[in-house]
Amino acid sequence: MELQKFTYDNKLSRMFLYATVLWGFVGMLVGLIIATELIFPHLSGGISWLSFGRLRPLHTNAVIFAFVGNGMFTGIYYSTPRLLKTLMFSELLGKIHFWGWQLIIVSAALTLPLGITVGKEYAELEWPIDIAIALVWVVFGLNLIMTMVKRRVQHIYVAIWFYIATFVTVAVLHIVNSISIPVSLLKSYPVYAGIQDALVQWWYGHNAVAFFLTTPYLGLMYYFIPKAANRPVYSYKLSIIHFWALIFLYIWAGPHHLLYSSLPDWAQALGVVFSVMLIAPSWGGMINGLLTLRGAWDKVRVDPVLKMFVVGVTAYGMSTFEGPMLSLKSVNALSHFTDWTIAHVHIGALGWNGMITFGMIYWLVPRLFNTKLKSVKMANAHFWLATTGMLFFAVPLYFAGFTQSLMWKEFTADGYLKYPNFIETVVQILPMYYLRVVGGTLYLTGVVLLVVNVINTVKAGKFVETEEDSAPALHPHGVDKGHRLIEGKPVLFTILALVAILIGGIVEFVPMFMVKNNVPTIASVQPYTPLELEGRDIYVREGCYVCHSQMVRPFRSEVERYGDYTKAGETVYDHPFQFGSKRTGPDLAREGVKTGKIYKPDSWHYNHFENPQKMVAQSIMPPYPSLLSNTLNTGSTAKKIRVMQTLGVPYPEGYSDKAVEDLKKQAHGIAQGLRDGGIDVTDDKEVIALIAYIQRLGTDIHKNQ
Amino acid sequence: MTTEKQPIQHKDGDYEIDTLTNRRLLKDHEYDGIQELDNDLPSWWKWLFIVTIVFSIIYVVRLWVFHSDDLVQKKEFDKEMVDAKANPAATAKTEAFEIKLLTDDAAMASGKETWSKICSVCHLADGGGLVGPNMTDKYWIHGNKIENLFAVIENGVIEKGMISYKDQLTPKQRLEVASYVLVKINGTTPANPKAPQGDLYE
Repeated sequence: MELQKFTYDNKLSRMFLYATVLWGFVGMLVGLIIATELIFPHLSGGISWLSFGRLRPLHTNAVIFAFVGNGMFTGIYYSTPRLLKTLMFSELLGKIHFWGWQLIIVSAALTLPLGITVGKEYAELEWPIDIAIALVWVVFGLNLIMTMVKRRVQHIYVAIWFYIATFVTVAVLHIVNSISIPVSLLKSYPVYAGIQDALVQWWYGHNAVAFFLTTPYLGLMYYFIPKAANRPVYSYKLSIIHFWALIFLYIWAGPHHLLYSSLPDWAQALGVVFSVMLIAPSWGGMINGLLTLRGAWDKVRVDPVLKMFVVGVTAYGMSTFEGPMLSLKSVNALSHFTDWTIAHVHIGALGWNGMITFGMIYWLVPRLFNTKLKSVKMANAHFWLATTGMLFFAVPLYFAGFTQSLMWKEFTADGYLKYPNFIETVVQILPMYYLRVVGGTLYLTGVVLLVVNVINTVKAGKFVETEEDSAPALHPHGVDKGHRLIEGKPVLFTILALVAILIGGIVEFVPMFMVKNNVPTIASVQPYTPLELEGRDIYVREGCYVCHSQMVRPFRSEVERYGDYTKAGETVYDHPFQFGSKRTGPDLAREGVKTGKIYKPDSWHYNHFENPQKMVAQSIMPPYPSLLSNTLNTGSTAKKIRVMQTLGVPYPEGYSDKAVEDLKKQAHGIAQGLRDGGIDVTDDKEVIALIAYIQRLGTDIHKNQ
Repeated sequence: MTTEKQPIQHKDGDYEIDTLTNRRLLKDHEYDGIQELDNDLPSWWKWLFIVTIVFSIIYVVRLWVFHSDDLVQKKEFDKEMVDAKANPAATAKTEAFEIKLLTDDAAMASGKETWSKICSVCHLADGGGLVGPNMTDKYWIHGNKIENLFAVIENGVIEKGMISYKDQLTPKQRLEVASYVLVKINGTTPANPKAPQGDLYE
C-alpha cells in the first residue's frame, strides 16, 4: 500500500502548553492569596476587588478553565493528529480556538474581580463571555470532528472517544446552564429560579467536573501513559465498558450536591444511586491507567513523568471513591457545607489534574524542543513538593471539615446547641487554615520549579515546528463487528455519545419543570421589593454565596441554630438561586426572621459590614467599607423589574415605572432607623439595599404569624 | 482449550504476545505506537459494578415503592424532632426556676463566658454598647432588677432587634449572665460608652 507523507504541526501544542503553565501559576497563586485572606481577613484592605468573595470565583475559574482547559487542549492538539495520522483539520480554527480561549480567560480575569458575575458557581461569567465560550467551543469541536473525518486510521482510539465525549457534553452543559436574559451588557438573570435553577446548576457543576476535569484527562491518560511507559494499554474491553458506563452514569449524579435540601426525594435518590454506580466505571479508568504500567514499574521509580502519572491516577481513584461516599446521605449530612468538600476537590485538582498536566508537560517539552529535560532532579523535587503540598493541603481540611460539622451538630445534655455561636466553630479550625496555606505554598513552589525547568529546556533546545510522518490512505478493510464498528464511524460515535449523555439530564429536568408538586407553592412568598432586588444583586456581586449558604437543611441541629428548614416554594423568585455550597460563615436563609434564632438589627449589619471584627472579634469576614460609601445605582432598576416579569415573577403590570419610587421609600425607612440609632448614613447607599435584602431573607413564610 | 501463555489460534489470526506480561495483544490495535492488550475485565471490578447496581435498585425501590422511613426526608426529620423531645433532659427548658441574683464565682465565670460569646456581639465586650444599649450606666430601658434582665434575655425585645435566647441558653445560663451584667458589668467604665437610653435607676 502506498504511503502518504504528511507533517504534524507542533505550534498549537506549544502555545497551549505555555498558556497552561502561565495560567496554572496565576490560578494557584490566587488560590494561595484567598487561602491567606481566610486567616487575615483584613489582608484585602477593604478593597472590594481583592476580597475573598470576588477572588474565589477567579481562582476556581482560572484553575478549571484556564489551567486544566489549556492543559487538555495542549494534549488534544498533540495527540489527536498522531492518533489519526493526519494534520489537524484547520490551523486557522486552531488559532481561533487558542486566541479565543485566552481572550475569554482574560475577560474572566477582568470581570470577576469587578463583581461582574451571574452568581452560579463555576458558571459565573456574564452572558457575552458565555456566548464567546460557546462559539470557541464549537470551533474546537468542529476542528476535532473534521480531523476525524479526514483521518488515515480506520478506528479511533479510546483517547479520542473521551475527547468526543468532552466536546459534546461540555457544549450541552454550558449552553443549557447559561441561558439567561440580559439586563445590560454586563448583567443578566438566569431563566431558571430557586430549586430548579439549583438542579440545572449542579447538573452543570457536577458534570463540569466529569467532562471538563475528568474525561479529557482520561483521554490524555490513555495517550501519555502508554507513550511515556512504552507499554500497551491494559485492557481494551475495560476501555469500552468503562467509557460508556462513565459518560452515561455521570450525567445523572448532579443532585448529590443538593442532598438534604428542598429538592424532592426522588431526585435526591437519583443523585445518590448514580454516584454510587460511578465507582466501578471511574475505577475502570484508574485500573487501565495503572495496570498499563505493568512491566514498567522499574521505570516509574526513576522517571518523574511516570511518577507524576502514578500519583495523578491514584488521586483520581481516591477522589472517585470519596465522591460516591460523600453522595451517601448519611455521610453528606456531615460533610456538606464544610471544608471536607474543599479537601475532596483539591485531591482531584492538585492530584489528578495537576499531576497529569505536569507529567505531560515534562514529557512533551523535551519532544517539542528536541532535547532532554534540563533538570530531572528539579522535576523530581517538583514531584515531591506537589505530593506533600497536596497532603498538607487536604489532610488538615478533612480534619477541619469533620471537626466543624460535629461542633455544628453537638447538643448538650439539656438539649441546647453546644456551640450556638457560629464563630466558636470557626476559631476551632483556624489552625487547619494555616496548614492549608503551608500546603498551598509547597505546591506552588513546585510549579515555580516547573516554570524554571520549562524555560531552561526551551532555551537549550530548538523548537520542532513540524514533524514528518507517513501512513497509507484510509481505506476501510475487513468487516467490523461490535464496538469496532462505531470506532470506524466517528460521526456516528459522536451522536451515540450525545444520546448517552442527554438521557440523564432529560429524565431529571422534565418532571422537575413540568410536574407542579415538585415545587409546592407557598402563598405568602412574594417577589422581592426593588430595593431588596438591588440588594440581592449586591449580594451576588460581592460573592456572599461563596461563604454563606442559604439552605437550612432538615436537621434538628440546623433548625435549632437557624430556624425552620428551607422549602422549595420559598425559592421560586430567586434568579439565580443562592444556596451556596460552603459555610465559612453561618447560613443566612432565615437571617431576616425577627422572631427567629439569628436575627440582628439593621445597625448591627451596618457596623458589621463596616468592620466585622467590631461586632465579632474573631470573625474571619473581610470588611466592606465600600458598601457604606458607594451610592446605589438605580439606573437599571426598572429594567431589572421588567426582566423579572419576563421570567415570570409576578410584579403588577407597569410596576417598573414606580419601582424606583418604592425603592427610595423603603431605603429612607431603613436609613432613618439607622440615623435614629446615631449612625451617619444617607438613604442612597448600597449598604441600605443589602440590609433590606438580608432582612427579607426567610421571612415570607413567617408573615402570618 | 489453551492457556494464555501459548500462542493461540484465533479466528482473526494469530495473537501477538506481550513479552513482559505474557498477555495477548489485540491485532490491528495500534495507534501512534500504542497497542492494546486483550485482558478481560478484572472479576473483582465486575462484582464491584454489580454490587453498586444492586444497591441502587434496592435503594430506589425502598424509596419509591415502600417510602421507607429512613429515606423519606420529611419523615426522617420529624422522627429526629420527636426523639429530641422525648429526651427527658430536654424538659429542663420548661422546668420552673427560681430567679434570684447570683454572685458566686462559678456563676460569674459562666456568666462571663456567655457574655463574651453571645451578648458582646451587640453590647460590646466591655458593655459600653453599640447596637445594643450601654449596660454599664444607670439607665435602663426595661428595668434593672434581675427579673427584668432575665425576662429580656428570655423573651427578647423583638422590635429593638434583640432576639429571645431561650432556645440557645439554659435558664441557668440566662440567670448567670443576667447576674454577671448586674454584678460585674454595671458600674464599670467602658472605652466608648453609648449615650444613655431608658430611665435613670438610682
